[in-house]
Amino acid sequence: MPKITFITHSGEHRAVDAALGTSVMHAAVDNDVPGMVGECGGSAMCATCHCFVDAQAFPALPPVDENEDAMLEGTASERTAESRLGCQLIITEDLEGLIVQLPDNQI
Amino acid sequence: MFAEAQELTAETVDFEEMWRDPYPLFKRLRANNPVAWVPQANHFMVTRFDDIVHVERNQDTFRSLEPRSLVHKVMGHSFMRKDGDAHLAERTIVSPSFSPAAAKKIWAEKFRLIATDLLDQIEGKGKADLFVDYATPMAARCLCEVTGLTNVDWRDIARWSQAMMDAVQNYAGDAEIARLGREASDGIDAAIDEMIGARRTDEDKSLLAMMAAGGMPLDSVRANLKVIIGGGQNEPRDANAGLIWALLSNPDQLAAVRADDALWMRGFEEYVRWISPIGMYPRTVDKPTELGGVMLQPDDRLFLLVGSANRDEAKFEQADRFDLHREKKQHLAFGSGPHFCAGAWVARMQVANIAVPMLFARLKGLALDEDDPVRCGGWAFRGVLNLPVRWDK
Repeated sequence: MPKITFITHSGEHRAVDAALGTSVMHAAVDNDVPGMVGECGGSAMCATCHCFVDAQAFPALPPVDENEDAMLEGTASERTAESRLGCQLIITEDLEGLIVQLPDNQI
Repeated sequence: MFAEAQELTAETVDFEEMWRDPYPLFKRLRANNPVAWVPQANHFMVTRFDDIVHVERNQDTFRSLEPRSLVHKVMGHSFMRKDGDAHLAERTIVSPSFSPAAAKKIWAEKFRLIATDLLDQIEGKGKADLFVDYATPMAARCLCEVTGLTNVDWRDIARWSQAMMDAVQNYAGDAEIARLGREASDGIDAAIDEMIGARRTDEDKSLLAMMAAGGMPLDSVRANLKVIIGGGQNEPRDANAGLIWALLSNPDQLAAVRADDALWMRGFEEYVRWISPIGMYPRTVDKPTELGGVMLQPDDRLFLLVGSANRDEAKFEQADRFDLHREKKQHLAFGSGPHFCAGAWVARMQVANIAVPMLFARLKGLALDEDDPVRCGGWAFRGVLNLPVRWDK
């Protein structure tokens, strides 16, 4: 299982083993990482799994599609160029070592 | 049968009292019988926040499909009562109309024009029932735009929505309520037939346009639009009128909102937590499981009482108070899991960004009419029933 490190808004580092085929959102929620909500359970409907990842450092990440782009307009914390929905980032072996920054607010 | 084997404490519920004020009952059930067997309704009542979240996170164990339900009979088989990929396929087709981007870029301007027109009509009067004269037409006219049923008079949308909502709660089988429900359903079918083949521009992001482009089967179009009309009329209407009432009843909080635009949305989220317009939705057990210490069997039926979960003392301090300054937290007014309310973003735009701030900006000296008190009712659906106010002409 790839190891993913979440950095919470307060700066706490939390490394978790993420199950293949699940998502970055599930990896946080299932491991009780604070700062990830995932109200809609991974359907890209609620924008409460907002996170920041460095796409250049991890080219294996899928690009933002039209639906994710539209949903990122609803994030509680301001959207940046690194904004993603955690539910749309499916865990693969290529994401070993992924660093995910969490926003100050999901709601 | 199973209920007896487990020696469950069967609850006898006074549904009329629950309609008037369900919160004392909810509090008692959360404390003493959080997954309560209610033989009268042939359902378990689930009242705690964490239990409802657990149900929604385990869709393989608890299903939405329920052909026995009144919703299924009145509206047809909508995506609200489908599971897994069947649900997702239809949900994906409509999501471009419902996203936060759509709310901002497509609907906001149209909604502002509607609110402006409604305020133009009432401003000179100095008094109104805002439930009737503002919240109801606001929701209905917005819904005509979002659905693409621009061939329908908003009064028909409002009437059809109420008729269907009454019919889906018609547990006593009243013949007239059932007839009005069928009449509403037929009216919507006819309106869809008239509009579904209409020539459309690329700018048309209405639900009908998305459904036609996505090749959704006609039975699904009909059922889904009925669910969307039911939820898209009564719920934003109730959030709109309810939030206005809550702010007028709490002048200190109203003053805070007037001083900080970001608080309109906080007020909206707090109102739908405090008095959730949809207070209950059902699920059916699909596999044997345990919930809140109670063993459940396939086909056992659950009422998920989010109106109770949103006042769960384990989750919210002083939960019975409307307090828009409370700590930001997840609530369940829009549900959770894959069936999270599709219309949430459009409702937030309509009510929190447009209808309520524009009303308070336009009507000076707005106050509740003390001669005619506001009344609330309902438990499956709950909200104010009237909203008489006065302002300076």
